[in-house]
Amino acid sequence: MFRLHDAELTHSNGFVALRDIALAAEAGEQLAIVGPSGAGKTTLLRLISTALRPTRGRIDLLGGDPWALSAAELRRLRARIAVAHQAPPLPPRQRVVTAVLAGRLGQWPWWKGMASLLYPADITGARAALLRLELGERLFDRCDRLSGGQLQRVGIARVLYQQAQLVLADEPVSALDPALALQTVQVMCGDAAARGATLVASLHAVDLARSCFPRIVGMRDGRIVFDLPVAAVDDALLSELYATEGGGLPLLAGEPAGMSLPARAAGLPPRGTCWR
Amino acid sequence: MKHPRDPAAPGRAAALLLAIVILWPLGVIGEFHPWTLFEAQNLRVMGGFLAAFLPPAVGGEFLAHLGRATLETLAIATAGIALAFVLAVPLAMATTQALSVSRIGPGPGRRRGEWLRAALRVVLVVLRGLPELVWALLFVRVFGLGPAAGVLALGLTYGGMLAKVYAEILESGDSRPARALLEAGASRLQALCYGLLPGAAQELTSYTVYRWECAVRASVVMGFVGAGGLGQLMDQSMRMLNGSEAASILLTFLVLVLAADALSGLLRRQLGETDGRAGALAFGRRSSLWLLLLGSALLASYLWLDLGLAALLSAAALASMAAYFGAFFPLDLSPDWLASVAWGALETVAISALGTLLAAAAGLLLALPASGRYGQAFEQLTRFLLNALRSVPELVWATLMALAAGLGPFAGILALALHTSGVLGRLFAEALQNAPPRPRDALLEAGTPSASAFLYGTLPEVSPQLIAYSLYRWEMNIRMAAILGFVGAGGLGQLLYVKLSLFQYPQASTVIAAMLLLSVAVDAGSAWLRRWLASPGG
Ligand SMILES: Nc1ncnc2c1ncn2[C@@H]1O[C@H](COP(=O)(O)OP(=O)(O)OP(=O)(O)O)[C@@H](O)[C@H]1O
Ligand SMILES: [Mg+2]
Repeated sequence: MFRLHDAELTHSNGFVALRDIALAAEAGEQLAIVGPSGAGKTTLLRLISTALRPTRGRIDLLGGDPWALSAAELRRLRARIAVAHQAPPLPPRQRVVTAVLAGRLGQWPWWKGMASLLYPADITGARAALLRLELGERLFDRCDRLSGGQLQRVGIARVLYQQAQLVLADEPVSALDPALALQTVQVMCGDAAARGATLVASLHAVDLARSCFPRIVGMRDGRIVFDLPVAAVDDALLSELYATEGGGLPLLAGEPAGMSLPARAAGLPPRGTCWR
Repeated sequence: MKHPRDPAAPGRAAALLLAIVILWPLGVIGEFHPWTLFEAQNLRVMGGFLAAFLPPAVGGEFLAHLGRATLETLAIATAGIALAFVLAVPLAMATTQALSVSRIGPGPGRRRGEWLRAALRVVLVVLRGLPELVWALLFVRVFGLGPAAGVLALGLTYGGMLAKVYAEILESGDSRPARALLEAGASRLQALCYGLLPGAAQELTSYTVYRWECAVRASVVMGFVGAGGLGQLMDQSMRMLNGSEAASILLTFLVLVLAADALSGLLRRQLGETDGRAGALAFGRRSSLWLLLLGSALLASYLWLDLGLAALLSAAALASMAAYFGAFFPLDLSPDWLASVAWGALETVAISALGTLLAAAAGLLLALPASGRYGQAFEQLTRFLLNALRSVPELVWATLMALAAGLGPFAGILALALHTSGVLGRLFAEALQNAPPRPRDALLEAGTPSASAFLYGTLPEVSPQLIAYSLYRWEMNIRMAAILGFVGAGGLGQLLYVKLSLFQYPQASTVIAAMLLLSVAVDAGSAWLRRWLASPGG
């Protein structure tokens, strides 16, 4: 499905966000990427989605080097990849149904995209995707009338509707409550499994990653630290990855003991007193 | 529930139907016949004219004429703004609530003050309700051909506009300092200088500079009614179908309008800078320098134009003026004439609506390359094209389009569309550049064709802004459409021009009244529309 060979990515300001990345996934595989903030998870997913081009190394994607393709071929390739973004990039004034249908714009002929602006081309399909995420009744609402978590699920509904062969999800459930987060990740995994699609998701909640994904990739400082089946990923390994001395791991449920009241612990006065 | 339907669909269908029901008759009234552009005869005339554009005329004598006319245009604008300023200051002081003495208490003469203020407001509406070109057309008949009529016309219209905006600016600021001064027995002028100006001077100056820029554009066309400047030269060249001279004059327009643009932008930026550091009017060296420059520019303008204002104020001149304006009353209100005027008004509305609609469509198409999405080269090229489109005044476009499409409202539609697409294209391009890029980028990364990515990712974000810009321009274009008829492009202007040429003043004054009514209605309508768009339901 995709294979990265010693890929390296340097941002325009000279910051090396990824180095020596070797990662591969077969069709139908599902893997979770975990790691502390700034580890390079988003960057890695953008590299795989061809939004970024590796500065060194090579990427094989859906059977070839995407950067050797012509513009039109690259566009057709991208239509086979779906991305769920950390913050869903949906125009606030767009309606949910339009936002979801936009997932297939890369597959539709251009006139169908135009016509769908006048009358939604596939209401049933959009509604089916939303129903799986318990959002069926918000079909005709505007995106700016939704809560942050609902908006995130609209973004996921677009991904489900796109029916892509490769699904990349960047912290897809960061705005959801624990129960809904679990359920939503299960929907995504179930959908990918049913279609034989590959799913790569970056997750902050390690328990969610461990309960839903058979394979876990740990990242830190732009490098892959481990790439193991879930059974081999224990708390010690994760603690080392997050380097939380004596603290807990970022979990989906419950507040980690060591993280309570950081303001007080840092020596700042309690809220309410005027210390300006 | 098996097959949900889009609840918005009936509303959309109704809106579409309504648009057709409104646009179709407008198209008929405006004689919207695009095919006339391609008729053999029109093509031949226009082709011959355009072919003569190259090379532009550069003969020594012609260039001397051109230079003098350019200076005259600038002088008309500057002198006109000065006159407007002189008119506007007392009017603004009298009408603004911020300097009302009788409101304190309320004290004696409250009623009288309110009445006076209301009466002055009506005067302001009349002054700025009539386009400056109408005033110029009227004045040319009293003061003869030449720049005097242009200066007076600009002075009156812009005096009304400046007074209204000055009053609003004074009211929008903090009025307590002025009020305290008035309560302490200060005069209005003292309260203005010590209480209001410190806070408002920068905005007032900035607006005045902006108006000067507009005055330059306006005085470019004054000559079409015989009031001096470049327009007169253009009118002559067009009459003789002298393409190479027309080309030189058009280039001059371009340079003049862009230079005025740049100068006004520079001045206003400078104003913004000084404000932050020194607060209000600090009469430092730089301000004094500017004032000196301004003073000499004014003096030069008056000397250059040789206005002879004193002669205008002689008893004989005043008597002839009174007789002339007296001839306009009473208005001709016979049903027949009213019907023709109503038709002219409809034609005016049709010209403005269709012109603006075409301009919005063309502006959007041009804004795409101008916003830089097809690369630097296209961006620079379309930006130049947009500047060229908007630097040629509507009235000049109308004379050109009258060649291409024949006399009549369709020429007016095309003229408005061409000029306005330059203006809107620039604004649209800015809006597109400021639109959040992520929704569109995400779609592109999902393999969406770029046209669809634009429609689904960018347009929803910017469409309210684009619509607001277009409505605002439509408002201006209704006023403009009323005078395009001076060069034969239909609407109320044509009626007015014809009637004035035949010395049928009562009929002419009915047309003027209709123009005023239209302008007031547009003001009210656009205020209402703005409120409606701003309300959560809109
Ligand atoms: N456009 C950019 N230019 C320069 N540096 C960047 C850019 N984008 C990201 N970075 C840097 O690259 C590193 C990796 O960023 P990335 O967004 O991939 O982290 P992440 O693992 O997704 O973090 P998080 O969990 O907070 O989302 C960070 O240190 C970030 O500051
Ligand atoms: Mg991230």
